[in-house]
Amino acid sequence: MNAAPRMAGDFLSLLTAQKLAPLAAPSTNAPTETQATTVFAFHYADGVLMAGDRRATAGNLIVTDRVDKVLEIDATSLLAIAGVPATAFEMARVLQTSFEYYRRSQLQPLSLPAKVRAIARLLRENLPMTMQGVGVVVPLFAALDQSVTPAKPQIYFYDPLGAQFQAVGHVASGSGSGTIRSIMSFQEQYGTPPPSRMSLPEAVRFALRLLMVASEFDSATGGVNPANRSFATIKLLGPTGVSTVGDEQQAEWLAL
Amino acid sequence: MTEEPYRWLEAVANRREYVRDQLRGGSPAFAASLPEGILLLGVGGGQTKVFELFDRQALAGLGHPADIERIRQAAIDAAHTEAFTRAPEDVSLRRLVSFGLSPQLKTNFEQIFTAPFLIELLLAELGTAPANDSLIRLHFDGGFRQQHGGVMVVASQSETEAAAQAWLSRETAGLTQRAAVAELFLQAWWLLVENKPFGEALPPEAERRAGWRAAVLEKDRVVEIGWLARAGTRTARYEAVDRAGLGL
Repeated sequence: MNAAPRMAGDFLSLLTAQKLAPLAAPSTNAPTETQATTVFAFHYADGVLMAGDRRATAGNLIVTDRVDKVLEIDATSLLAIAGVPATAFEMARVLQTSFEYYRRSQLQPLSLPAKVRAIARLLRENLPMTMQGVGVVVPLFAALDQSVTPAKPQIYFYDPLGAQFQAVGHVASGSGSGTIRSIMSFQEQYGTPPPSRMSLPEAVRFALRLLMVASEFDSATGGVNPANRSFATIKLLGPTGVSTVGDEQQAEWLAL
Repeated sequence: MTEEPYRWLEAVANRREYVRDQLRGGSPAFAASLPEGILLLGVGGGQTKVFELFDRQALAGLGHPADIERIRQAAIDAAHTEAFTRAPEDVSLRRLVSFGLSPQLKTNFEQIFTAPFLIELLLAELGTAPANDSLIRLHFDGGFRQQHGGVMVVASQSETEAAAQAWLSRETAGLTQRAAVAELFLQAWWLLVENKPFGEALPPEAERRAGWRAAVLEKDRVVEIGWLARAGTRTARYEAVDRAGLGL
């Protein structure tokens, strides 16, 4: 009997055909897992800003302050990871390869709805690890909607089971997200300017200050410290695609 | 029984002749290693000629669209599986061709009761400098030739292909601008499809320039240009460039 035909351009089907299963479930006797914390995204005047602190913790231990939690999936997609990095980075790698595989093999980019569902699918496949409490991932996703002209950046967030939601103005995930969401909500309602009307320097400065405040209330959030050249990971998504705000630029705009 | 090997040899020879006959008239494609990247160019009449394979690898060629598509898909599958199971840096054109595509093509060519691949291909891989770039010429029977840097041509006839490659190597020596190299590629393309000589009777430059433009515009052909950029922050370095983008 013939096996089911492989879906055209689907990298996960290719992996399955070659018996290479990503995200295989681990033993339930897993050690204390490394975790990653505060990430957020919001619309500013020219697109979407996505940022994250750079700390990873395991229990009460700080593992490192040099993690990049905002990842470029392809030229028009960003993923911010909160949760267990071991699972989250593997998910990001699967997504990076899947999106590029589809684009190259099918000679057209994957649509935004398909990208959004691809993440939901990975989260659902990760459900056994989530239920065991050893592999929870709660990502944020930003990508260009290229079905409209000019292309429009959109933000999505998920629950650990894979439900997908579109964010209107802003969204945050991780242990410091409560603080971030409160400040962003306040700024959107009463701030001048609200985040959605901020220029790029204003938006970057706002993002850095958000992380500085969040780190005051959450030990798992790394924060920002210009004195020791410790900054955030900040990436932008505009109509032409993804770009990065480096440490030098962050330092300059934070000092304005 | 004793004559079976001779029948097989004759069948392979016939098969080679058949493939070459089928490929006759195919539209040539070109690649050049430049300081800022690798330029690939083909002229299509409705079918795609130049493709991205992986972050730093690309393909151009001529032949039956279905056969090009099968090879392209096999290369993309192998490259992405290698990148996922090891790392993107481990995807190498040399391994892809010598351990993957070449043996498959040779096996297929020598299985005389199956349809042969009707293809002639050129594959390119971007290195850290032009001297590290790889250009591979892959034939329908699995034979291949690799060179580092320089210019490479894929055409249906080996003699004219060699003449075009020699002429382009001389003409592009010292050129760094991709627009100037693309202009020469298009002149060489016109000389090849019109069966013009590359030697002493080479048509003058004005005629070559007017020739390719007329051949492209009057027959509604599409110039496809691929560019593998050496500098860049993204891992995927391939971009499609249109003719207007190079001022052609």
